[in-house]
Amino acid sequence: MSLPKPVMRGLLGKRLRFHLPIAFTLSIISAIAFKYAVTEPRKQAYADFYKQYDSVKEFNAMREAGIFESVRPSGE
Amino acid sequence: MFRAVFRLSATGARSLARSRPCYSAPLASRCYSHGKVETDEEFDARWVTYFSKPDIDAWELRKGMNTLIGYDLVPEAKILDSALRACRRLNDVASAIRILEAVKDKAGPHKEIYPFLMQELKPTLSELGISTPEELGMDKL
Repeated sequence: MSLPKPVMRGLLGKRLRFHLPIAFTLSIISAIAFKYAVTEPRKQAYADFYKQYDSVKEFNAMREAGIFESVRPSGE
Repeated sequence: MFRAVFRLSATGARSLARSRPCYSAPLASRCYSHGKVETDEEFDARWVTYFSKPDIDAWELRKGMNTLIGYDLVPEAKILDSALRACRRLNDVASAIRILEAVKDKAGPHKEIYPFLMQELKPTLSELGISTPEELGMDKL
């Protein structure tokens, strides 16, 4: 029983032609997915936090808690 | 033939934008639209001639094999036959067996190639008295 001649040329090229578009597509999709699932929500969370942030009020709360050295709580 | 790239690729537009290299020969391709592209038969004939040089030296044998292994193809049986005979002229049975190992490795996941080549090369191997790595137990780790 003699074996038929297999394809012996261009095997790597064939593999790359098949896998490289898939690889690039999947990478780009994962990058886009990460951007919209992780980084955009994070940026939005920060934006939402600071939209209503009153820095003076927070400063005074910290001052009363006595954590600063440069400025004492208002009672002293 | 490589118009098939655009048909096969699921992201046809993307591959168009990425302008694939054209590799109609398995060589490190010079991508020219003019000029003659070497056919497979010419390529094979060139390599058979290379290894058939009667006074080939050991360096040329090694250089030839290393270059040949760099291509995106498994060498044809006639090229390997010519290379094995060059090993015989150089009294280099180690290189002969190494060539067989290299060919098996080049086939990669395509397991039908090595048995086919062994079938084609069997007369040559028995004529030259070359053992295969399998016969020597060298194919196991």
